[in-house]
Order: sequence, then C-alpha cells, then structure tokens
Amino acid sequence: MQPPVLSAMRLGKRFPTGVQALVDVDLDVAPGETLVLIGESGCGKSTLLRMFNRLEEPSAGEVQIRGQRATDLDPIELRRQTGYVLQEGGLLPHWNVARNVELVPELLGWSATRRQQRRDTLLELVGLDPALYASRYAHELSGGQRQRVAFARAIAADPDVILLDEPFGALDALTRVELQEEFARLKARLQKTMLLVTHDLAEAFRLGDRIAVMRQGRILQCAPPRTLQRQPADAYVGELLAHAPEVPE
Amino acid sequence: MRCPRTLTLLVALLALTPATGNAESIVVGSKNFAESRILGEMFARLIESRTDLTVERKLGLAGTQVCFEALRSGGIDLYPEYTGTGLVTILQESPRGDAAWTLDRVRREFLSRWDLWWLAPLGFENAYELAVPSEVAETHNLRSISDLVALAPSMTAGLGYEFAARDDGLPGLERAYGLRFGSVRTMQQALKYQAAGERVIDCLDVYTTDGRLVVHDLVVLADDRGFFPPYEAAALVRGATLQRHPEIGAVIGLLTHALSEERMRQLNLRVEHEAEPVERVAQDALEALGLVGARAVDTVSSRHRSLWRYMWENRRDLGARTLEHLFLSGAGLLLGIIVAVPLGLLLERRRRSAEPLIRVVGTSQTIPSLALLAFMIPFFGVGARPAIVALWLYAIFPILRNTYTGLRDAAPEVVQAATALGMTPAQVLRRVRLPLAMPVIMAGVRTAGVITVGTATLAAFIGAGGLGEPIVAGVQSVDTTVILSGAVPAALLAIAVDALLGAIERWLRPRGVGR
Ligand SMILES: Nc1ncnc2c1ncn2[C@@H]1O[C@H](COP(=O)(O)OP(=O)(O)OP(=O)(O)O)[C@@H](O)[C@H]1O
Ligand SMILES: [Mg+2]
Repeated sequence: MQPPVLSAMRLGKRFPTGVQALVDVDLDVAPGETLVLIGESGCGKSTLLRMFNRLEEPSAGEVQIRGQRATDLDPIELRRQTGYVLQEGGLLPHWNVARNVELVPELLGWSATRRQQRRDTLLELVGLDPALYASRYAHELSGGQRQRVAFARAIAADPDVILLDEPFGALDALTRVELQEEFARLKARLQKTMLLVTHDLAEAFRLGDRIAVMRQGRILQCAPPRTLQRQPADAYVGELLAHAPEVPE
Repeated sequence: MRCPRTLTLLVALLALTPATGNAESIVVGSKNFAESRILGEMFARLIESRTDLTVERKLGLAGTQVCFEALRSGGIDLYPEYTGTGLVTILQESPRGDAAWTLDRVRREFLSRWDLWWLAPLGFENAYELAVPSEVAETHNLRSISDLVALAPSMTAGLGYEFAARDDGLPGLERAYGLRFGSVRTMQQALKYQAAGERVIDCLDVYTTDGRLVVHDLVVLADDRGFFPPYEAAALVRGATLQRHPEIGAVIGLLTHALSEERMRQLNLRVEHEAEPVERVAQDALEALGLVGARAVDTVSSRHRSLWRYMWENRRDLGARTLEHLFLSGAGLLLGIIVAVPLGLLLERRRRSAEPLIRVVGTSQTIPSLALLAFMIPFFGVGARPAIVALWLYAIFPILRNTYTGLRDAAPEVVQAATALGMTPAQVLRRVRLPLAMPVIMAGVRTAGVITVGTATLAAFIGAGGLGEPIVAGVQSVDTTVILSGAVPAALLAIAVDALLGAIERWLRPRGVGR
C-alpha cells in the first residue's frame, strides 16, 4: 500500500471558547482516494477538514501531508496546493467567473495566456461554456453553476488534494443529484485525493471510497460503505446507516 | 500603517490653508454685531486708504472670548473693544471707577500682561442698559432700574446670551438691585427688539448706541446705582503690530473722540434697520469725518429686493463664499478620510480595543459645533485653520465607524474562501475585504460630507468665511433675504455634495457587490 497523502494522528482541537471539537482523531487518506466525513451537525467535520490546509491548528497530536508535518509547511504555499470548496462556493462577488477560476494560478504567477487556457479547459470540464460564462458575476449564476465554478477554481492549479465542505449542500435535490453524478465522473477522471464532508447519506455512499462516521469530535468508524453497512462498529453507526441506500456488490 | 506619511500629509494640508495674521497684511477683527462690524470696517478702510498696508477682514467673530483669544494668539492684529468689557469680562475684575479710571486700568493691565494696546477712545460709550417699551414706562411711571424692582416679578425679560451670563450683566444686576424677573428668555440680540415690539417680552438689555431704541420706541431706564461699568469704545491692538507698523496707531488715532453716541446710533440704525451694507455705512462715516475721499462702495443692498434678484446681484460675493465653504468642508472631509480609514484598518486588527475607542471618538459628535469651534481658537487662532480642524474632528467618526464595521462584517464566507485558496492576509485585505467594504466605507464618507458641509456654516463665527457669513450677518439685521442668500446655497450645497458622494460611491462600488 502506498503511503497516505493526508493523515491525522491523535489529533485534538480545543477552541479558545472551551469547545472540544476534535478528540484523538486518527485518519489516513490514500492517494487518489475519496474519503467522506459524515456525522450530525457540530460533530467536528468542518474543523477536521480545515486542519488539512491549516485554517485551524491542532491543540494536540499532529497532521501530516505527504509524510510532512503540516506545521513545518508554509501555510500559504500549502493552501495554494490544496483545492477547497465550501457550501456556498465562496466565489468573490466582485470578480467575474474568469478571475475567480484564475485566482490560484494568478497567485502562483502563471502567465496570462497559460491562465486563460487553463480557465477555458476547466470551465468546459465542469460543463460551462467559457464564451458564455467567463465574464459573468456570481450573482448572475444559478446555485448549481456557482458550485461548478467553485470546483473549477479549486482544481485550477492542479492540486492533488481537494477538500470539499458540503459542496452540494445548498442545492435543490435535482441539481444536487445532477452535480453528484458529474462529480463522480470527474473524480474517476482526475484521480485526486479528496476529503468530502456531507450530510447526505446517498451522496456519501455514491462518492466515498471510504466513509468516516464522526460523533462529538471522535471518529467512530472509518471503512468502505459496504463494510460500514454490514459490520457497524456500534449501535450509533448502525442506526445512522439504517436508512442508507443498498450498496451494490 | 504608514503613520509618518499620513502625518506629513496632514501637516502639509494644514500649512496650505490660507495663513492668518502673516507679516504682509493687517488682520482686522470685529465681534458679530453691527456696531463692532462698522468700527472694524472703518479701521480697515482707514488703514487701506492711508497706509500701504493691505488689510484682511475677520469681521463677525463670535463674541468677546473669540476676539480676544484671536488677538492674543496673533490671529488678528486689532479689533474694536469696550473698556468695560476689558475690565469685567477679560480681566475679570469688578467695576470700581469712572470712565477714565477704567481706561487707565485696562491700559496698564493689558500692556503688562499681553502687550496689547488700548488706543485713544473713539468718543462714545456703548454701555449696557435696561430698556422697556415706552408704553410700559408710562403706565407704571418707570424711570430707573430701582423703579423696575417692584414690577419685575410679573415681567418676562428677553436678554442676550452674554448678558444673561456675564457678571456685569444679569447676575450682577440682581445682586446690586435685588432685581428678580418673573421669567427670563435668552435670545439673539436682534430678535429681542422685535419681541419687545410685539410685547412678547417686557424688558430687555440694550446698548446705549443701539439704533433700534428709536425704531421700536423703547425707553432706557437710568442706572441709578451706577451698576453698569463705563463702556468706552476703542481700538485694541497688538503691541507687536504697532511696533512693526507704527502708522497704524497714527491712522486709527484720527478717530479719537470722532464719534458721538448719537452719531453711532444713526450708523447702527442704518445697518440694523435699513439693512444697508456695513461697507457703505463705514465709508460714509469716514467721508463725513473727512478722513477718506469719496468712493463708491460696490456692495448690494438687500432692501426691497426679491431673494433671487438679491442673490443674482450679489453673485460674486456668494460665489466666493460658496468656494470658501467648499474649501473648508472639503479639507475637513479629506483630512477625515486620511485619518479615519487607516485607523479603521488598524482597529479591525485590534478588535478588543476597537469598540471602546470608537465609542470615545463617537463622543466628539456630541460636542456642540460652536463650542468645538471656539475651543480651537487658543490653539489655531481664527480663520480657516481652526474651522478645518473642527470639521476634521467631526468627519472622523462616521468614516472610522463604517470602515471598521464594513471590514469586520465583509462577507465572512468569501473571506474564508480567499484565505483557504492561499491569499496572504494582506492580499485578502486589499483584494477582497476592502472592495467588499467599499460601499459601507463610502456611506460613512457621505455622512461625514453632509455633516461637514452643514457644520461649516458655523465657521463664520470664527472668521473662516463660508456661507455662514451672510446667515450670521442677516440674523443680526433681521433681514430674511440676507439670511436666505446664505441658507439656500448652503442647503443646495449639502444636497449636491450628498449626490456627488453618492455618485462616487456607485462609481467605486465593485460590480457584483451590494445589490
Ligand atoms: N472558530 C471556532 N471557535 C469556537 N468554536 C468553534 C469554532 N468553529 C467551530 N466551533 C465549534 O466546534 C464544534 C464543531 O464545529 P464544526 O463546524 O466542525 O461542526 P460540523 O460537524 O462541521 O457541523 P455542521 O454539520 O453543522 O457544519 C461546534 O461545536 C462548533 O460550535
Ligand atoms: Mg460544517
């Protein structure tokens, strides 16, 4: 087995407010793997995700990225090499789609022509016609289109790790399914290491190579969907997965 | 923050404001009532026609304190003052002797304490007295203040602000005569006469030389206990100025004992009641004394003219006032932006200390404008400089508050995304938070703009000019046309500035933000 790209070791996070968001978290994500984090609201999913681009710093244990301690890496450089998509996309409203997608390449100092080529390729990849959408602003896009742009932006500089925090959470059911399917196709094609947070069990089962179930800052079980369903580690996990869709053999 | 550069800019801007009291021109001041203006204008014209010096006028300064501070700090070189005021208000002594004693006393004290010179008296006294409508005097057979004491509890007195508070005014009078009015209303000097004419008030403080005594048929009550000190009018001049330009002493000396009370009352009447321009009245008085040659005065009277016609004929002066007004408020606003925006940026990073500090700055807003303006004089003299500093202080708060909250509340999820994709904090600030906060910051600038334009109207009280000038002059001569000739452009200016800043706000607003 190849060494993991992302790992957390006995990771703990306590906020200055006293909230213990993470307790003794151990986690490995293999290259090209999609690991999904699920669990009830407030259980620490976002916090765990944000550890991997140093938006949060550990208060115990450590985070490693490609075998290097996260705290030894320059946070700005690390973030430029890590894709990030959040629920509402977080597109810069005062920049058009083109500039948003070119954000990280620009920070990395790519030439204008290289950026434009890359931007057009990416917009086509996520199913948006560059001629039509490049000059639009966020408020001129539908929610689904915004998430497509956010995804294009996240992979613009070709990072090998992408962090996604409920990327389809704010979409209506139809659009969500449509985007999930497209995402599944892209995932197969791009071969990125991904950490994805969701509230949607169907989504977790459809997209996750493995699923980590979290509760009150701990990981209760981390396993492929089928194992999770057949051998839940405890009653809580079993109950949570009772309503999960049947996983095909 | 680039603090030194901001400071340098600030100092440079202050230095650029029109200098007051510089070596080349003589600055003549006056208080803000007709007689003081007439005398100031006479001084100015005499100096202009009989010496090579150029004269700058700072007429209509708000009261004794402002004039005296201005003189002492070199903001003005001379102004007409009264010996009694010098003794009681400035030296804070109680009156003890006759006119000669008083003059001698103030001469000696002013010279030794501040190197200020009282030139020879102009020949008349303008003492405080109490007056009642002649009808009241006849009905109750009133001749002196002692006669008034029994009747006073059933009377409403209308008194000037200064008189009501000064020791040589009402408080002293109450002690000297055991006088108690039923009620006291403080009002603008000019409005009292009208109020007495309409019998809204039964008794008022007047000056001996007030022309309106005649117009409104008022009887002056004798000061039978000699309470009111002698108030001889004379020029009060800086010693340094006299040393540099001794000819000023000689020229003003031509007015020694040249004006009687009767004569002064007539001159005042022309300004206060006939609404004649101070310039013409002063010119006429000097011509009659044979001190200056005949000369046409190119000012416009508001008498019997419609507002529009008056404004049109007076357009050059109003245009200049408008420019002054814009300069004052523009400089105040600009300095406000230069200080408040960087301060807001800084505070946003020190949130813990931000809130209390902003609240403290907010109290600046509660200082009455006139008080703040007057407070500036000991530090900055009179004229544009103190006015700009005061306006600047007013402008800071709205801009600071909006910069701080605008940055603090700028779309958190967008800021998070920008950070997460690898922007440095400086990049996030410059490329995300500032543009997103721009509409809020500009709204603060707009508020500050309207405040400074509005408050600049009061700058006239400390000799900074602006559209407040005609308003103050008009209030003194109860001339609505003159008041409106300042008030209407001032209001229009406020609306225009608001619209302009609104347009700039829309222009600066990044596409896609705040709709
Ligand atoms: N910056 C912070 N300061 C203090 N407490 C925080 C902070 N961020 C998160 N928390 C707390 O940490 C806990 C975990 O939060 P987190 O956002 O990771 O939950 P989540 O699992 O992502 O929830 P949701 O599904 O609702 O997004 C919560 O109790 C939250 O209130
Ligand atoms: Mg979350």
